[in-house]
Amino acid sequence: MAEVSWSRWGIEECLRFRDLAPGSVVHVRPGASFDPNLPPMAGQLLHDRDEVCFVPRFPFVEGTAYGVVVDGVATTVIVRPRADLPATAEVVDVHPTGDTVPRNLLRFYVAFSAPMGEGCAAEHVGLFDCSGNEMVGALLATDHELWDGHRRRLTVLLDPARIKRGIVGHLEASYPLREGTAFTLVIEQGFHDAHGTPLRTRYERRYEVGADQRGRVDPDRWGLSVAPAHTGDPLQVGFDRPLDFGLLGRCLFVKGPDGGRVEGSPEIGHSERSWRFQPATPWAPGPHRLVVNPILEDVAGNSVDRVFDRDLTRSEDDPRPAGAVARTFQPR
Amino acid sequence: MSEYGLRIGSAEIGSAGPIAFGPDGILFLADNEAAKVFAVDVADPGQKSEAEPFDLENVDERVGSFLGCEAADVIVRDMAVHPSSHNVYLSVQRGRGDAGQSVLVRIDRVDGSVSHVALNEVPVAVVTIADAPAEDDERLDITLPQGDEGEELEIRGRTIRILRRPIRTSTVTDMAYVDGSLLVAGLSNEEFSSKLRRIPFPFTDDVVDNSLEIFHVSHGKWETAAPIRTFVPYDGGRSILASYTCTPVVHFPLSDMKPGTKTVGRTVAELGAMNQPLDMVSFVQDGEEHLLVANSRHGLVKIACRDIDAQEPLTEPQKPVGVPRETEDLQGITCLANLSEGHVLALQVDGDRRHLRTLKTASL
Repeated sequence: MAEVSWSRWGIEECLRFRDLAPGSVVHVRPGASFDPNLPPMAGQLLHDRDEVCFVPRFPFVEGTAYGVVVDGVATTVIVRPRADLPATAEVVDVHPTGDTVPRNLLRFYVAFSAPMGEGCAAEHVGLFDCSGNEMVGALLATDHELWDGHRRRLTVLLDPARIKRGIVGHLEASYPLREGTAFTLVIEQGFHDAHGTPLRTRYERRYEVGADQRGRVDPDRWGLSVAPAHTGDPLQVGFDRPLDFGLLGRCLFVKGPDGGRVEGSPEIGHSERSWRFQPATPWAPGPHRLVVNPILEDVAGNSVDRVFDRDLTRSEDDPRPAGAVARTFQPR
Repeated sequence: MSEYGLRIGSAEIGSAGPIAFGPDGILFLADNEAAKVFAVDVADPGQKSEAEPFDLENVDERVGSFLGCEAADVIVRDMAVHPSSHNVYLSVQRGRGDAGQSVLVRIDRVDGSVSHVALNEVPVAVVTIADAPAEDDERLDITLPQGDEGEELEIRGRTIRILRRPIRTSTVTDMAYVDGSLLVAGLSNEEFSSKLRRIPFPFTDDVVDNSLEIFHVSHGKWETAAPIRTFVPYDGGRSILASYTCTPVVHFPLSDMKPGTKTVGRTVAELGAMNQPLDMVSFVQDGEEHLLVANSRHGLVKIACRDIDAQEPLTEPQKPVGVPRETEDLQGITCLANLSEGHVLALQVDGDRRHLRTLKTASL
């Protein structure tokens, strides 16, 4: 009887057979039924010196049992073990970075050091009040977690139904946060990375809750500090309120006197209250434009175009006509 | 295949999406993770043949056995039948989460054997959906899922399961090829995000797209955000019939769609709230075209297209519900594909197993 074990063939995971008779026919199937009516698992038998390896076309699934049939004889059932790897992933950043957030804060961004697994957020991300009690229902419960393409940045939403005034969630449970109090965002150690391994350590960040942030984002209220022409000094932009970290990364850019985009390095300042732009080459003389994609939001979800939670009696909160927004500046 | 602009390359897909056959056995595959549609020569090994009825038990268990995973880890996203060999193609997600892998499998209609369709080093062309929702677009698309995904809600005394997913995952919800154009339904990054795109094939950049607006009878309002879930070309490809969650059926004439405009559809039927349309086909019976709608709550629904043509647009909440319909005693059908003039192939869930069944259209 051939002896079967988990092994590798080059970089490929495989089942390794010792004492397999030459010319033997090997079939591997998931499950332990040995049902000959089911197609065998796709793969190939490859020789490694005097042993034989079954290298599957699709990887083995951790925790799944595989039935092995040699020359029509049920030989063994072997269970693919779950990986037991050391914990290496950790939370490296959380936005907003300011110490105080508005009562109508809409979201957090949690950045991890490695690609993470899905399905952990509801259980392992939470808000706790200053007495250490979990603020149940403060975060939006959703099965489908909001990850970036590399699954390193998780967007965590506070429940919008409790933030928008006048709808059932708000009327019944009010805001998730209370002005004048403090709370802690916690990412538990049990949050798994893509290999199923927990975090190195639990993460906590404390915030104070301030007044609501209302009204559209208005780039005309920003302070611009403009560098002299022919220098490589940065353009510095100060915002009148903290803006959304995720959108800041892709909603601001600079156009030069020729209308072309100015190459350079943007950097978001502390508390997301400022933005600086270091041009790759010295500033040309002439008018430049800081172009703002009107989807840019503050931390409460108010954008350049519209407010998140509109009070119909405030005409100043009516949506803005569609179109790009820009601030013109001229290097001195 | 060079006449269609296909070149040797890779169509490795990040997320298994809708599939549809085009000319000369070219298969279109949508990848919502990458917001791309691939056209692939699948090099079908089958002989050109008459479409004999074809039934296969325990398809998910067979596919799982071939892929080396449990049947529960086989998620069938779409089904298509090769136009000349009538072999069956399944767009499959193998496993969930990080271990998930997109696979295209072929089921031989002669012997029921399962094989893997290579997507590397094959003739391929690709088009990018330029206005797809961004990966971090937080808007959610709500569907009524099959299986155990999502969360349970109680609405008016009835428990239903809903699934909220980022709208990027609904960039492409269904596709069909008609006379040199690939019709692609789904969501875009715009405020009126429901879209029908017409992409020339061979692929060029001359994509014609229209935002869509419909009157949703069971919701009692005009809607622009929710996507078409499934549609079928109609009237020789001059229009489409489309269905949405909770379950209006809507007629859109393609000839009226001026590029870049918002198009208002004619709602012709309401098939009930808390219901998800899953797939549609049309077929001819006694010389007249009929529509079949597979859905999550009722048996297979059959509608005579003659009634659709005569139906005034529905614009009132709840009632009337539009054209007459027959509900067949065929439950659990999740995918449909035309096999021949007289037969439709169905993927049917029965308990925790899925089977391929041929439906004789004369007896529907």
